[in-house]
Order: sequence, then structure tokens, then C-alpha cells
Amino acid sequence: MSEKVQRLVMRAFRGIPGEMIVDLGKGESIVVYGDNGTGKSTFADALEWYFTGEIELLSHEGRQHAMRHVGVDDDEVTSVEVVTNGALGGKALFPDEREPETFQAMRRETFLLRGRTLADFVNKTKTEKWKALVEILGLDAIESLREDFQRARNELRKESKAAEELVKQYRRALASDGQVVTHETVLSNLQQICEMLGVDPPRSLNQAVDPSWLTAAVGASAVSAKPTNQESLLGEIGALTTPTLDSHLLESWNALVSSERAALLPRAAVVREAKRLVETRTIGARCPVCGQSVNEKELARRIERALVEVMEASRELEYLRDPLVQLTHDLRAAHDKRLSLHKSGHAMGLNLAPVTPLPAAALQGAIDSLGSVNIEAITGYLADLRKWDAAANELAREASSSGPSTRDTQLVMLAALYEQIKGWRRAEDKAARALRAVTLADRVFDAYQAKQKADLTEILKRISGRVAQIYAALHPGEDLAEAVSIEPWTAKGVELAVEFYGSHQRPPHGVLSESHLNSLAISLFLAMAEEFNAQLGFLLLDDVINSFDVEHRGRLAELLAEGFSDWQLIVLTHDQQFFEHLTRRAPSWRKLELTSWSYASGPRTTQYETSGILAAARERLGSGDVQGAATKARRALEEQLQEVCEALWAPLPFRRGQANDKREIGELFKGVRRTLKERAKTLLESVEPLLKHLEADVGATLNVEVHGSRGRSGAREVEAALNRIEALDGMWSCPECRTRVWHRGNPDAARCKCGQSSFPPVRVN
Amino acid sequence: MHRPSAQEFLLALLESLEDLPPDFARRFAEVLKGEDVDRSQAIRRLFEDFAGE
Repeated sequence: MSEKVQRLVMRAFRGIPGEMIVDLGKGESIVVYGDNGTGKSTFADALEWYFTGEIELLSHEGRQHAMRHVGVDDDEVTSVEVVTNGALGGKALFPDEREPETFQAMRRETFLLRGRTLADFVNKTKTEKWKALVEILGLDAIESLREDFQRARNELRKESKAAEELVKQYRRALASDGQVVTHETVLSNLQQICEMLGVDPPRSLNQAVDPSWLTAAVGASAVSAKPTNQESLLGEIGALTTPTLDSHLLESWNALVSSERAALLPRAAVVREAKRLVETRTIGARCPVCGQSVNEKELARRIERALVEVMEASRELEYLRDPLVQLTHDLRAAHDKRLSLHKSGHAMGLNLAPVTPLPAAALQGAIDSLGSVNIEAITGYLADLRKWDAAANELAREASSSGPSTRDTQLVMLAALYEQIKGWRRAEDKAARALRAVTLADRVFDAYQAKQKADLTEILKRISGRVAQIYAALHPGEDLAEAVSIEPWTAKGVELAVEFYGSHQRPPHGVLSESHLNSLAISLFLAMAEEFNAQLGFLLLDDVINSFDVEHRGRLAELLAEGFSDWQLIVLTHDQQFFEHLTRRAPSWRKLELTSWSYASGPRTTQYETSGILAAARERLGSGDVQGAATKARRALEEQLQEVCEALWAPLPFRRGQANDKREIGELFKGVRRTLKERAKTLLESVEPLLKHLEADVGATLNVEVHGSRGRSGAREVEAALNRIEALDGMWSCPECRTRVWHRGNPDAARCKCGQSSFPPVRVN
Repeated sequence: MHRPSAQEFLLALLESLEDLPPDFARRFAEVLKGEDVDRSQAIRRLFEDFAGE
């Protein structure tokens, strides 16, 4: 149910020091007229505050205190009470402690349009219009979710991009010789390293990144490792040993070969032959060799003793000789080994020292000749060997510590490649997941926005049609009237548009006048209220016609009076013509005139119980206020003539700006006469006497300064003038429906609202 | 004019989309119910979860 305001009670509020009551019956429309500063907008402020919880003008910091009348006592309570024909009525107290939820639904409803903010919506950017529309349409929760969704999607995109960049980094690291990195090329590189290490290569990258595979591969590498030549050389150097020299052996040898027993050794064969002879033949008394007489037994004993000595010396010699021969072999082997190492080392760039020549004669010669061994030469040689070994080991250590072995290098390469592959695969997995997330988010988000846009487009289409209708009513006959629309613009924007003589203008600010833009804003306001208001059945327009010329004020009055008769309209205006237009076109509306405002008592009002300013003039006259009656009568005449001129398109001289709407009364008489002369000469002839009388009234009776000096006699003249003004008014008004004959159509085909009266006086010709 | 809630709007949308992962609509709706969490982060995690499944 759309609720209407039946009663508004303001107390100590804004410009009202005490209490002010506006009675709206059962929810009837009202037009409130008053000059600037008479307190009209206080009504608008009261309804705005009650229904939205704030007054936009006072929402800025430091202005809230102005909610209260500045002169009231501290114990005076500021309040606004609204009585409606539904459940929305109540009483708001200042300071306002109502919960924001109280207004949430009502704030979405369109009910207040102020002149000072009239162009706000039209002038908003497309994004601001979108936000405003989204709030009005109650789509703010949907828009808020869209914004969160968009933030989430942007983060997913960022993560996906970072993951993809990491994959690229790994690919750059894995690339060799500019090759394109694929699973196959990386697997191939890995297999090559495995081959060098002598381990089984992985069959796939999945196998390669399995930690158990790496452990097994390193273990297998250790078993199958074959040392290189350099490693072998360094190993051999490290393993060098020097032959052990037994000095006692050499000394014993030398002692033996220097003894007398050793002298027997060369004669050992003779002694053995002598023993054989003695044992095999009878020698007799003479020596069988030299013939000297001998004692055979004695000879045999001497031979036996000699043979024993020889045998003992021989055994001792053999005992010493074997280890000596072994030492000789050891020394030669040690010598040859070092010569070999020297040669190999030279080939590998390892500069080993030359090997000391082997003192072969010192040992081998002594053995062969049963001579003494040169112990000093042997000892010196061994000392040289040890020095050489020490120097060689030092060089070997330097060579070893100068860099890792090839196997170590290969193992390092394998480990590094393993880590890179593992990282690459992880990055690829992460990038793939991130891409899947973004793809899904993009799909849902795009669909979300598309649905939002489609829904909004449908709504805008409905509003656009109604805006165009209303705009056409305000600007009939203009080519623009059917071409107004509200269109989605970008993902988060809406904009007004017009088809301007064949070109699409969005926004229309460049081609429409300020007045046309304001018409557009009013059209939009009314269309949105019709489309979206669910609870509020009243519309409040506060001084919205400032930029309108007289013709369009009349059209707006007509539109409000007829096109929105189902609504309760609360129209505040300082424009007397607009007030008169509404008074005449909507006779059932309530009228309220604010005549002045004072700090102590607030707005002063005059209730318009009868219609029209002429009735007001008669009321003044009846109460003895002749001067007031004359003023009202003159205003009534001016308003009537101005309207006649506008309705009949009288050829008045053009003036710039608002001066065009404020004509001297003499000009208006001329305009009426010229129009009638051109288009209704007969009517002019019958009206001319009346016009002349009225001109005279304007110069005398309705001239307030002259009238003020003539006392009571002026009352009759004023009454006569009022009669004449009413008579002239009757020429343009239908006696049945009381509307003017140009209510329908244009001056060439003018009719009143009910159709019974036309503009025959003009059409007679 | 009916003003749909964000949840109504979203569920209507998800029902109209084909080939969404099973249970996606229900879990998205759950995200909207969580009032004490950063909703954009919850939405991001929802999509990450479904990308990993």
C-alpha cells in the first residue's frame, strides 16, 4: 500500500519556533506558495528528516544543530510528527535515535525533488548515476557482492600471473643452448647426467621428482664410480710407501763378506772335490794332487773341517743374501714407481720433482761380488725417496683441493637439476590450479555482470519509456520528446541519452538547455517514483520550476494535476504564476500561502479556501482590505493576460532571461489585441470596450498608490474592476469544467478539458 | 517492484549456468551467509578450492 500524508506537525523545528500543523485531509495534494524566506522548505525538511533520518542540506559536519529552531528554550523538544493513512506515520524526536534500519526501505523510494538539487542526477557521472540507481533499485547488496567478487577475481588473476611467471623463471633456468624447454628436453638432460654418473636414468619426470629415486641414484653412483686418471694418479701418490731399511742386515752382510770365513767360500768347490776323492779312493801315504807324503786320516779330518767351515759360511751368506736381494727389488720397484708417477704427472700438468737415480751398484754389485754394501748411499737414497714422496703428496693435496672431482660435479649438477625440476613441476601445478580458478571465476563473474546488466537494462527500458512520455508532455511538438532514454554505459555506468536531430547524444548536456535538462530530471524523478515506490504515495517538489519559462510552468502544472492525480503531490513554490496554474488546473488541491516569516512566530499563512487569486481578492475586499484586494486584482489580471498571450502565442517582444516572463501589463494588453486582431477580429471588437475599461482600472483603481489616497470610495471601484476581470476570465474558461479553452491542443485547435468549450471566438474567422 | 536479495540473485544466476562443479552453488551460498569473514577472501578461497579438486 502506498501511504499518503494526512497531517504534518512540526515543533521547534527549523524555522518554526512553536508548533505548526499542516492538515492534508485524507491525503490530499497541496500547493504551498510563498516568497523566498517564508518557510516553505521547512515542510520539505520535515518530511525528508522523518522519512530518511537526515536532511541532505544539513548532513555536512557542523550543520546538524540547525535541525532545531535556534531560538527555542533548551527544554523545548524538537519533533516532527507525521500521520499517514498507513503504518509509516509516527513521531521523530531530535536528537534522532531511530535505528538506520528504520529508513532502509524508505530511503530507496523517490519522493523528494528540490530545485537546488534538481540537476544533480542529470549532472552525475555515469558511475555516480549507476550507484544512485543501484541504491534506488535496491540492488546495492547485489552490487556489493559484485564488488567483493571482483576483488576476489582480481586477486586470483594476480596469483595466476605470478604462478605463470614462476614457471617461466624455471623454464629459463632449465633452458640450455636456447632450446625450448619441454618435459622431453628436461628428461633428456637428466638422462645424460645419469649416464655420466653410471646410474639408471628415470623413465619419466614423475619418477625423477620422486625423492626415493634421487636417493637410489646417488647410492648407485657411489658404487659404480670409476676414478679418473688424475684421481688415480693422486691416489697412487697418496698410497706411496718407502722400502724399509734393516741396517742390521746390511751391517751383518758387510761383516760376513769381510770375515775369513767368507774367504773360504770361493774354495768351497775344491773342498767338496777333495772330500769326494777321500771318500771314493785310497790315497795312501802321498797326496794325489801334489805328491807330498800325507797322513791319509789327518788329511781326511782337515778336509772335513774345511768343508764344515765353508758350509757354515755359505749358509750364513745365504741367510743374509735373500733379504738383501728383496731390498734390492723393493728399491728398484720404488724407484720405477716414482719414475712412472713423474711421467704421468707431467702429462697431466702435475709438476712432480725428478726422481733421484737409484744407486744400483751400491747394493746389487755388492751382492754379486760378495762385496760390502754402501750403506750410506742406500740410506741417502731412501731419504731422497721420502722427500720426493712428501713433495708429491703436497702437490696431490693442492690438486685435490683445487676443485671437486668430476663425479662430485656431476652429482651437484644432478641435485641442482632435481631441485629445479621439482620446483618447475610444483610451479606448473600451482599455475594450472590458479588458471583453473581464474577460468571458473571469470566465467561466473562475467555471467554475474551480464545478468546484472540485463536486469538493469530491462528496468531502464521501462523507465525510459515513461521518462520519454513525461518529457513529451512537458515539451509537446519538440522532435526530442520521443527520443529520451536511460542507457547502460560500461559495466558500471548508466547515462541519459537523447536522439538529437539524428545524432545520439549521451550524455545530453551538450545539446540540451538548462531548462530541458531540468525537465529531463523532473521526468526521471516522476518516472522512477512511479516505477519503484512501493510504500510512499506522495511526491514533494520544492521550487523545481526556476529555470522554466511560463509555458513550461503551465505544462508542468497540467502534468502534475492530471497525470499524477493518483498521487498526493506536495508542491512548494515561490512562483505566483505556477501557483495560479496549479490552482486553476487542480481545483481540488489544497492551497496554502505563506505570507511572511518572523523569528518569533515563524511562517504566517493564508488558507486558500476558494479557488484562484480573484477569490482571494474578493475576500480581502470583504474584510475591508481594499488595498490588498486591489493588489490581488492587479496580479490576477496580469496573470490572466500573461497566460492568454502564452496560450495564444501572442507576438510579444523577446527579452533575455527572466525578464521575458515579467511583462509590463501594457505589453500584455498589446499582445492580446494583436493576437485577436490577426486571428479573431470579431471577438476583438466585442472585447475592446472591456479591455479599455481594464486599462483604465490598471491606471487608477488597481494602482495601489493612487487607491491608497482615495479612502472608501475605492472599494466600489475595486469591486467593479474585479467584475470586469472575471468577465474577461469567462471568455477563456469553460463554464462546465472551469479549465481554459487552450487546455487541449494548440491555439489552432484549442479545447477545454471536458471538450465542450473550444476557442471558437478565434476560429470564427 | 521486487528487489531481489544478493543471495536470490546469485542462486538464480548459478542455476542458469551449466557444467558448474557439483556443490558449487551450495558452497557459494554458504560464503554469503558468513558475516564475520572477509567475503572477497572467502570467495577467492572458494574458487581455489574448486580449482584444486
